[in-house]
Amino acid sequence: MNHGQQLDCALDLMRRLPPQDIEKNLSDLIDLVPDLCEDLLASVDQPLKIAKDKKSNKDYLLCDYNRDGDSYRSPWSNEYDPPIEDGSIPSDRIRKFEIEANFAFDLYREQYYEGGISSCYFWDLENGSGFAGAILIKKTGDSGNKLFKGSWDSIHVIEVQEKGAGRNAHYKLISTVMLWLHNSRAESGSFELGGSLSRQAEKDSAVSDMSSHIVNIGQMIEKMENNIRGILDTIYFGKTAEIMNKTRSLVDLKGRAKMDELNKQMAEALKQKQNQTPNKTAQ
Amino acid sequence: GAAMMKSDKQWYQRRVRGLLTRASSVFYDYATEQFTTVKVDGGDCLVTKVGSLDSAKRFVDPTTSKSFTYNFLKNEASEVEEVPRDTNVEGWREAVQSALKGYLDEVYPAHVSAVYANLADDMINLTICIEDHKYNPANFWNGKWKSKWEVSFPTAGGHSKVTGNMRVQVHYYEDGNVQLLTNKEVEESVQLSSPAEGAAHIVQFIKSSETAYQIAINENYHKMSDTTFKALRRNLPITQSLIDWHKLQSLKVGKDIMNR
Repeated sequence: MNHGQQLDCALDLMRRLPPQDIEKNLSDLIDLVPDLCEDLLASVDQPLKIAKDKKSNKDYLLCDYNRDGDSYRSPWSNEYDPPIEDGSIPSDRIRKFEIEANFAFDLYREQYYEGGISSCYFWDLENGSGFAGAILIKKTGDSGNKLFKGSWDSIHVIEVQEKGAGRNAHYKLISTVMLWLHNSRAESGSFELGGSLSRQAEKDSAVSDMSSHIVNIGQMIEKMENNIRGILDTIYFGKTAEIMNKTRSLVDLKGRAKMDELNKQMAEALKQKQNQTPNKTAQ
Repeated sequence: GAAMMKSDKQWYQRRVRGLLTRASSVFYDYATEQFTTVKVDGGDCLVTKVGSLDSAKRFVDPTTSKSFTYNFLKNEASEVEEVPRDTNVEGWREAVQSALKGYLDEVYPAHVSAVYANLADDMINLTICIEDHKYNPANFWNGKWKSKWEVSFPTAGGHSKVTGNMRVQVHYYEDGNVQLLTNKEVEESVQLSSPAEGAAHIVQFIKSSETAYQIAINENYHKMSDTTFKALRRNLPITQSLIDWHKLQSLKVGKDIMNR
């Protein structure tokens, strides 16, 4: 099995394993095939961890896109923690853009999430055709009595191909939202509903300067998150509940079977009666 | 040369055998933990730890009183044999099985169950395993209900504690990976004076526990969708309209001018 095939198998396996055990499954998988490590960490989404930037006393989110070895880069100070020599940082142009993006998505986050943490990391594309970025948002919440708890993690990866001497751009967005809900009411024992959904989008837009990218990317992500939110609602609270209720019924099945039979007999009787009655159409 | 290649091959064979041995114990744990269903002589039976005979490959189905070898990879039963029933416990076992069936037919569209019984140190030990699943891989989902009930009591009967563990698992994996994992433990003391009466009490406890649990799960869904989910992220900002990104963009420019 070659490297690419191994990665496909590993990703396929990760998709089918319980999402609650993502970290354990990932580390077990890495033990099994050590040289997939780098590739796997880059492709499989784990719940976002938080770190504090000691300089600015602001929180930021950790992911593979701000990681270099075992250190993570803060979007506020642009420095690695723990400090490393020659840690990978964006070019001046992209760092300036990254600062703007963090500011903009902070405001976006506040409007939709009314709290939480957001972080944006951008980097130049190697072939010089543009740049790419990761926009992350994390929000947690619980009920006053802590019986219900939930967390939302958004990971948006955007690729921007700059064209027409900077007057056009092609955007490719891959978004994953992880949603975790826990409940510890005695009546329902231990209850966990969790996992993630992913979607993609592409578009072409006109660009006048770097700020245009904020508008274009912002609109794309807002539309994408609203779309995913609706799907999460349907899948989590509609579909999984429906499947659960298919394995055991709260309605007496024998009683229902009797009712179905009765309804069927009545429908038959009614049909027979209609056939006997002469057709009273206007003459 | 040739000698080197032979030892390479042996090393490889040892590795594969090692992997398969580790894998088979993983399969055994997984299959028995999951109350896997298998067809034995055309009827559905459960593969459970309680029903496992010594070799960990042979299992017994107490309903038909048959034993079989189970192939985990193929999910197949073979070498089916008749097993004599234990007359010391069969009266109780059969009474519970019969009362249980009436209940299962009421609420489970496709149930598979097993009532195990044995006698040890003048105590009758009953274990009831219930499962019902719906698999739909073509539509990327599956779901399973699983419950296990245990009670031990002296052969003369009496008051005894019934313990139960109920578990529901749902998996949805189209363009994503979402799982419901929930389980609950319950216990209650029931009167076990005679097989018929004792069986009725046991089944009544199972019925009320499982029904209450399913109702509580549904309540969770309503509550979480109405409160927890909404509190994580709004449908729209308070303005009730999408963000004006041009305006948002200009805020930053304004801030820059202020800082000069």
